[in-house]
Amino acid sequence: MYASLVPTSAEMIRFLPELILTVVATLFMVLDPLLGRQSRHVYGHFSILALLGAMAAAVYVYRDPGAAFSGMLMVDGFATFFRVVVIGVGILTVLPSYRYLDREDAETGEYHALLLFSIVGQCVMVTANELIMIFIGLEISSIASYVLAGYLRDDRRANEAALKYFLLGSFATAFFLYGVALIYGMTGSTNLATVRRAILGGSLGSAPIFIGVAAALMFVGLGFKVSGAPFQIWAPDVYQGAPTPVAAFLSAGPKAAAFAIFLRIFLTAFQPIGPGWEPLVWVSALASMTLGNFAALTQSNIKRLLAYSSIAHAGYVLVALAARSNVGTAAAMFYMAAYAFMNIGAFAVVSHLSGKGERYLKVEDFAGLGAKQPGTAALLSIFLLSLIGVPLTGGFFGKFYIFKAALDSHLVWLTVLGLLNSAVAAYYYLRILVMMYMREPGEAASRIQPLTPGLRAALVLPALGTLVLGIFPGWVLDFAGRSSVFVR
Amino acid sequence: MLMDTILFYLFAALVLGGGILTITRRNAVHSAIFLILSLLGVAGLYLLQSAEFLFAVQIVLYVGGIMVLFLFVIMLVNLDQAAKEKQFNRQWTVALACAGLVGAEIFYFLAKGAGAFQLAKGTAEANTGMGNTERLADALFSQYLLPFEIASLLLLVAVVGSVVMAKKRI
Amino acid sequence: MQLWLIPAFPLAGFLINGLLGRRASKGFINAVAIGSVLLSFAWVLKTIMGLGDVSSRYVEHYFTWIQSGALQVNFDFAVDRLTVVMLLVVTGVGALIHIYSVGYMGHEGGYYRFFAYLNLFMFFMLTLVLAANYLVLFVGWEGVGLCSYLLIGFYFLRQSATNAGNKAFIVNRIGDFGFSLAIFLVFLNFGTLDFGGVFANVPGKPETLLNTIGLLLLVGACGKSAQIPLYVWLPDAMEGPTPVSALIHAATMVTAGVYMVARSNVIYIHAPVAQEAVALIGLATAFFSATIGLLQNDIKKIFAYSTVSQLGYMFVGAGVGAFSAGIYHLVTHAFFKALLFLGSGSVIHALSGEQDVRRMGGLAKKIPWTFWTMLCAAVAIAGVPPFSGFYSKDMILAAAYQRAPWIYWVGAITAGLTAFYVFRAIFLAFFGAYRGHEHPHESPPVMILPLAALAFLSLAGGFLFDVPQFLERLFPPIEESHDVTLVAVSVAIGLAGIGLAALFYVVKPSLPDSLAASFSGVYKLIYNKYFVDEIYDAAVVKPVVNGSRSLLWKGVDVGLIDAGVNGLGWSARGIGGILRLLQSGSIRSYATWVVFGSVVLMVAMAMAGGVR
Repeated sequence: MYASLVPTSAEMIRFLPELILTVVATLFMVLDPLLGRQSRHVYGHFSILALLGAMAAAVYVYRDPGAAFSGMLMVDGFATFFRVVVIGVGILTVLPSYRYLDREDAETGEYHALLLFSIVGQCVMVTANELIMIFIGLEISSIASYVLAGYLRDDRRANEAALKYFLLGSFATAFFLYGVALIYGMTGSTNLATVRRAILGGSLGSAPIFIGVAAALMFVGLGFKVSGAPFQIWAPDVYQGAPTPVAAFLSAGPKAAAFAIFLRIFLTAFQPIGPGWEPLVWVSALASMTLGNFAALTQSNIKRLLAYSSIAHAGYVLVALAARSNVGTAAAMFYMAAYAFMNIGAFAVVSHLSGKGERYLKVEDFAGLGAKQPGTAALLSIFLLSLIGVPLTGGFFGKFYIFKAALDSHLVWLTVLGLLNSAVAAYYYLRILVMMYMREPGEAASRIQPLTPGLRAALVLPALGTLVLGIFPGWVLDFAGRSSVFVR
Repeated sequence: MLMDTILFYLFAALVLGGGILTITRRNAVHSAIFLILSLLGVAGLYLLQSAEFLFAVQIVLYVGGIMVLFLFVIMLVNLDQAAKEKQFNRQWTVALACAGLVGAEIFYFLAKGAGAFQLAKGTAEANTGMGNTERLADALFSQYLLPFEIASLLLLVAVVGSVVMAKKRI
Repeated sequence: MQLWLIPAFPLAGFLINGLLGRRASKGFINAVAIGSVLLSFAWVLKTIMGLGDVSSRYVEHYFTWIQSGALQVNFDFAVDRLTVVMLLVVTGVGALIHIYSVGYMGHEGGYYRFFAYLNLFMFFMLTLVLAANYLVLFVGWEGVGLCSYLLIGFYFLRQSATNAGNKAFIVNRIGDFGFSLAIFLVFLNFGTLDFGGVFANVPGKPETLLNTIGLLLLVGACGKSAQIPLYVWLPDAMEGPTPVSALIHAATMVTAGVYMVARSNVIYIHAPVAQEAVALIGLATAFFSATIGLLQNDIKKIFAYSTVSQLGYMFVGAGVGAFSAGIYHLVTHAFFKALLFLGSGSVIHALSGEQDVRRMGGLAKKIPWTFWTMLCAAVAIAGVPPFSGFYSKDMILAAAYQRAPWIYWVGAITAGLTAFYVFRAIFLAFFGAYRGHEHPHESPPVMILPLAALAFLSLAGGFLFDVPQFLERLFPPIEESHDVTLVAVSVAIGLAGIGLAALFYVVKPSLPDSLAASFSGVYKLIYNKYFVDEIYDAAVVKPVVNGSRSLLWKGVDVGLIDAGVNGLGWSARGIGGILRLLQSGSIRSYATWVVFGSVVLMVAMAMAGGVR
């Protein structure tokens, strides 16, 4: 009876990316006391190697897709896509972190270990096909993120950010867990496909009210993680207080993973009650876009501005979710990839410019960057144009697909309001462009340091990614389109 | 059957009363002790559902472990200052509205009757002759093996995280 | 045919100058910038030779841009006769303006940057014109907007230049909003974005749908081509260097809206409401901005309002079904308006930056080349036969008369106003006594030569290029009218405008002031451009800014990070500090709101949960 439950080697291999990252991260904990302070860059190098290895493994194991560990994990195209995205986000976070940690004189071992652990959690999330697994992945990712947000212990802002993130985050995961418990109680299973069958089976009675309540509770937990309104309230404080590379990481990695499970849960298990939750996602999407964009208009702190922008972008992806279709899923996948590139790139420039102790974080501090460091300014321009959604960038196609998917699903008003929103959004990104190119250099730009190789890579790679997604979107979109089917 | 009902209301009263007292006491130590009371009530409810394992875990882990830690921390930290500050913040009206809404919702379900609480068929456990504890162990070490193992990673991250955060402070 | 080479040359120029220009000599920059545009002009000519009479649409497929499910969009370029006309105008006039810029920008900082932007603009404009589907067109559309923004804000040390750039960008976003909605609608209902595929399927689609698409496209065109109500950015855009005003804000980019409407003519023909709207908006814009032009004193602003007005004319042409007449006017306008701007640039250059016509005067003898060339442009725009403006304007008016006589009359009066304000500028600047303090000097040959070339085209362009006949097969035929009285009337009104200007500003210079005094109400209204900017500011800009500041920022963005740092919160370290923070309220209130949101959600979902 138990023979079928013993994991086969094929199943172990499907878990390879997570294994690689876990082993390396654990090794860091052991190495930390052994290696001296002079070898502080070693961890970064190893992180990148481990992440590259994990990414290769993630791609490799897709050759033999399937379930693993009695249906706990599902290695399919969707999971592979998001595995690559979160691992890629990891690489792009490590690159600017070298310089950042040097500058702030912070310890490197634990930082990288926590980063890798967080990515392991996200990988587990995106491959999980089962609510318990999803919850554990979510917690691993979150707890590591809480600590990363407060990694600079002597920085009060970072402390406060970490504490807020921790308390509110735990609060939100509790909602999620409550939803899981209700689902298990109602259907006797935590497997998404089984839950779906139970709901469809009709044995829940004519009015499965508690399925709705469970969906709402999970919506709260996931809405918090993706910083969608009305659960966005933590994001500006946390992004502002957290170390900039960590803020970049939070805005891309955990968010992508959270969207992945959002899509998987709501389009697999809760797909039968779609008409019930669609209005909620609709309202949340609109509220996120509007609130994020309009609040960003008046921000003067660049990290806070990007936080509001990230709320607005979460709104766009929620539009894709509201479409409840394979096209919508594919659009959300594409958007998260494009968003990861452009947002991490923008944060990397912020990190580079802000100087020791993150002194220069005002929008005005970008004054004259175009004259002082034209290369950096040009790359930031690419990211900002992509965030605006100008053609030939990934951001443009992301929005294009999302609104196309929404129209396919007859969400006409949401599309109209969303497009209006993206017209408004141009303004605050434009302010940064104006500062860079149309002002005399200020203190921040005058004191800017030359780019280190790590930073250069951290800027050029996302810029290339943004452009490739904008000029040859077909490569990624084909894959996303093929992998967006949950229920066959 | 009557005995069950009486016990249920007893434990439920314990849970609710303990909870209310926990949040209304000014003295943190008192609050913690009332929380223990509330958790004990929950344990009693588990027992009524013949979930012996959960009952034991509830007592050992929450009442025995976590709450004792709570009390330690509370006694170590000087809380005179906190006791003087306002106990309820400005949002109490919103909180009240929330509580009211949840209450209304529950009454609505009750009024709608059993249909609202229907479970999927096949959820009720077949009588396999195994006790609650055995069944749990069976599930944990077969079907749910991976989550069980991965949870250790979660604990590791939590330990590392708390060490990182606290390293220079203590 | 290698059509891609046409935009590729300027793109290469942009890359070379943008990357290497900072350390390169001016000669090198000039050679790259002008050479690339000339090369693409030459390639256009070669392409036309190769295609013969371009009787059918020639499409070149490069790669499949997007392929997902039913969605397939190719990155394709296509050439038909309309494209040929646009290509010749863009590269031809563009090359002349590039040459002129060498002289005009010679003393400015950021020389390489200017030419790099200008080349980038050429790249996007040519992409726009060559596009074989709406999405590629949109790429060019957004790209030219971006370059326009960069070039308006070129003199960024002036705050007004930066503001003008921002205004242009934001207003155009509103237009783009309409355009992108139209693209989505087209795609949903036609299943393709390719021009050929879309237009073949237009007949038989419901009229409401076509009207909606047409109106949304019109919103986009209004943004780019500065039509009511989105025209406000163009006059401000004159903050950019004068060659930019000539190239982007007169000859090419702003006509993209007209081009797009003409390109979509099949849709408009089957969407009577939308077509009517095109005509009415065009007519209103033409008249309205011509009146504003009457009282402007900045020489570039006069021509800017004139541009808005003339673009309105082109819309009228398209709106009454005379698409080829609209395009004809686009071509002649490109000649004479580019010339007017370049000429006024030469005047400004001569006076070391003076732009106010009240401080000019008597320049005809001091800078004769500039004067004579500008005079050519003035007679062309005033519609004096047989110069270029006469042909195209007359054709539009004749077609308008067929549709509705009153459109003809408003148009004819507008023509009179046009003649008046253009000659007002000419008379104030070149006649009478000199009223300024600078010592005027004629511009260098590198600036005069393009002026002369454009002067020739302004005079002779009308009968040299019979654009309507060339485009005959693309558009539905215009109903021919040989009503000589109509022609005579409009010419007479134009001549009357010139005569009135001569009376006001040469013969009796005291007349304008006394008139202004007796009609002070109307005068003030027009002088202040009908207070449109102020109204927009009060009705749109202020509410949005204040609303997001007070409502969202104070109401929603209640972050307490700053308060914590300022010492209001918790300064003690350790667990006590953490508890203090908990006590300070922000986290509790956040949590309360999360609970509130979730309870509302839960109730809503429980109610909806039963819906199946």
